[in-house]
Amino acid sequence: MQGILPYILRRLLWVPLILIAVSFIAFTVARFGPGDPISVAMGQFRDPEVLARVRHEKGLDKPVLDQYRIYVWNVLHGDLGESYRYGGRPVSEIIFPKMWVSAQLGLVALIITFGVGIPAGILAALRQGSWMDPAAISLLLFFRSVPVLITVPVMLLVFVLKLHWFPAAGWEGIFDKHIVIPALALSLPGIAGVARLMRATTLDVLKEDYVRTARAKGLPEFTVVSRHVARNALLPLVTIIGISLVTLLEGAFFAEVLMGIPGIGREAFDSVKSRDYDVILGLALVLAAAFIVANIVIDIAYTFIDPRVRYQRSGVT
Amino acid sequence: MNRLTGFVLAVVVVLVLAIGVISAVVIVRGGGGGGEGQQAQPTKAATAEGGGETGGKSTGELRLPGSDPITLDPALAADAASATYIVEIFGGLVTIDPKLNIVPDIARELPTRENGGIVDNPDGTVTYTFHLRDDVVFHNTSRLVTASDFKYSMERALNPRTASTVAEAYLGDIVGARDMVRGRADEVRGIEVVDDSTLKLTVDAPKPYFLAKLTYPTGFVVDRQQVEANPRNWSRKPNGTGPYKMREWSLGEQITLEANDRYHLGKPSVKTVTFLLSGGSVLTMYQNNEIDVAGVGVNDIESVQDPTSDLSAEYVTGDDFSISYIGFNTQTEPFNDPKVRQAFAHAIDREKIAEVVLKDMLPVAQGVMMSGLPGHNPQSKALSFDPELAQQLLKESKYGGPDGLPTVTITEVGGGANVGFDTQAMVEMWKENLGVEVEIEQTEAATFFEDLDSGRLQMFVTGWIMDYPDPEDILDIHFYSQSRLNNTRYSNPELDALLEQARTEQDVNRRLSLYQQAEQIVIEEAVWVPLYNGRDHALVKPYVKDFEFPPMVIPHLRYVTIEQ
Repeated sequence: MQGILPYILRRLLWVPLILIAVSFIAFTVARFGPGDPISVAMGQFRDPEVLARVRHEKGLDKPVLDQYRIYVWNVLHGDLGESYRYGGRPVSEIIFPKMWVSAQLGLVALIITFGVGIPAGILAALRQGSWMDPAAISLLLFFRSVPVLITVPVMLLVFVLKLHWFPAAGWEGIFDKHIVIPALALSLPGIAGVARLMRATTLDVLKEDYVRTARAKGLPEFTVVSRHVARNALLPLVTIIGISLVTLLEGAFFAEVLMGIPGIGREAFDSVKSRDYDVILGLALVLAAAFIVANIVIDIAYTFIDPRVRYQRSGVT
Repeated sequence: MNRLTGFVLAVVVVLVLAIGVISAVVIVRGGGGGGEGQQAQPTKAATAEGGGETGGKSTGELRLPGSDPITLDPALAADAASATYIVEIFGGLVTIDPKLNIVPDIARELPTRENGGIVDNPDGTVTYTFHLRDDVVFHNTSRLVTASDFKYSMERALNPRTASTVAEAYLGDIVGARDMVRGRADEVRGIEVVDDSTLKLTVDAPKPYFLAKLTYPTGFVVDRQQVEANPRNWSRKPNGTGPYKMREWSLGEQITLEANDRYHLGKPSVKTVTFLLSGGSVLTMYQNNEIDVAGVGVNDIESVQDPTSDLSAEYVTGDDFSISYIGFNTQTEPFNDPKVRQAFAHAIDREKIAEVVLKDMLPVAQGVMMSGLPGHNPQSKALSFDPELAQQLLKESKYGGPDGLPTVTITEVGGGANVGFDTQAMVEMWKENLGVEVEIEQTEAATFFEDLDSGRLQMFVTGWIMDYPDPEDILDIHFYSQSRLNNTRYSNPELDALLEQARTEQDVNRRLSLYQQAEQIVIEEAVWVPLYNGRDHALVKPYVKDFEFPPMVIPHLRYVTIEQ
């Protein structure tokens, strides 16, 4: 464990630099681009004189660098700003609850994706040569190819209108039946990728000496697979799982719109459309920070999973 | 068999199974009802299946689709979504009834010249005197509304610190209002509190549309104690004076309104109204009995109107005060030449587009003013479809014909992937009937409006929704040469004179006739090419009665009843 703490600290030093870069770019692009949150919120009665007056009142006519300075100062004091679209509500009040909803939905979808994908991949690898291998992968690829924009309406037709098993829209939390259709729709496309990767790594691992040794020792096949094969085959997936966890925070636009889920995907889209500057920036900052932290966590996770991985001054051994 | 054959066979088997299972479930269950734009057609054998897809029973509360308001502060509301809730939660001196008459709300009666409520002062200003009711109480309190509450609310709206984008438009006619909004005064001279139940408003000229403007949220009364105690967040659970009060607002999920038992104009019948804000397929929710009213879009209109469908009995329409139109920038080539504009107007067949492309969902507009609006002229006719005349006009223009024209671009709001079908049809018609290839440009909304306001667009498609039922709100605002909302930059002294006169003309008939003349000029000069008026298409559950689709945002929920 020697090099781990300094390693983490060194990685963390990058965080403020990256956050400043991300926020500065987002800030300036938003303000120099066409459109303006006041103008959007004004609706159809867009009197240029009134617009100028209100912009001045809100500090939007100051030089961009000044505005940025004020913004950074506020963020450092925990104030992410206010939303124009939601009548002055604090940005944190808007993005965090929606991220939480998207995260819950995404987590369930992720569990299904990996819960089905990993065994499917291992099975395909073990049955390589028989019909089960290509059949499994082909079925999963079928679902990979059908976009959410199609799977959701089809599921609505079958499971809601015809069978009346589930409600058509809304969100009632992670343990409620409202989550079933969107979670299924979101999880299906990803299973193929996970399965194929799992299959590939499993095939590699099956060729390793220690597997032959385990089998030669007379261990039952199930033990061979679960203790020796799976653990090693999972290693490359750690990266994917890690990044996938961050994408939970991005939400899923189509599923949210089609099924009336108050998630962050839709919020991000709407806030860009409405030029809700502070919400857009808040999102950019949170996502950037999450990505950096996730990467660090993945690197640390590797040291636990694969004893061969160690971190030292010069990087990974 | 070898590996390749096995592989192919496996794929085929799997695909067939998957598709087969899905289709089997759908078909075996039978047809009936619409869906979200899918191919399945209702079969003639459709019978109501367990529970039924339509009908169903009421939950006693009214469930409507809705979107999050931008704000519930009447001083700030500039959009229809916010206004929808505000008009139910708050009230003002006057309001509009579903027949579009201006009627008293918190004022006892409408001030008129006959009852002495409107007085013309020697300096040209006009003073309105309002006597307030003595039984109007703010929600969740026992405070009675007084005249000072109105003075407070209106001055608050005009206070530059409040940063309202609409205050000047709706209250700016009051003497001293413009000074306050520009920070030159601390109060509005024209708002005078005579005593607790008497309020006087002095307006800068005899403007007949002033009372109509007061029906818009900006003039509504707010609870001063609540606002001052919680300036940031008071509007999340505001104390209004309207027929409904706010019970709950979960952002992005729902807004629940509860009937105000003490409402001075009569307690509403429906106790609870819930607006579902998160979206989703509204039609599917309606068929699944999760919602009581649903809008119907162009993709579903045919299956809903189909007489064999259960839904057709629940289908209703309502015309609204909106218009979509083609506007020309009259200051740039080639549309600074009226003959070119007229040529373009005569070259499109709007009736055909409405029939074929829009499936007759929208009425063709024959003028600028909408049917039902005071001043609407039923004889008004927009420039007719006449390709020969169009070509003739183009030849007579300073360009001599289609080949002399510079590149013409029509701009509209859109996502870029798909041009509005009606725009496509019009572009086809200009090509066929005029020989002009019009380029299409699509930009998203915020960029579109910026380009429009800065004069960068040549020809554009957009719309307008009336805010109050008076022709001033469309003809004056858009065509008066000095109006800041004149997006065609049109300047015509003869038109200006008509509009100026109409602003203060007291005789109703003469005034409306002036607006009709103004409208004629706009049509003949092809400043706008009126396209279609708005019409709502919706499904309403049979147990919901008197759910009107008023032509503009006005309080209407208190007239609804639910049959149990």
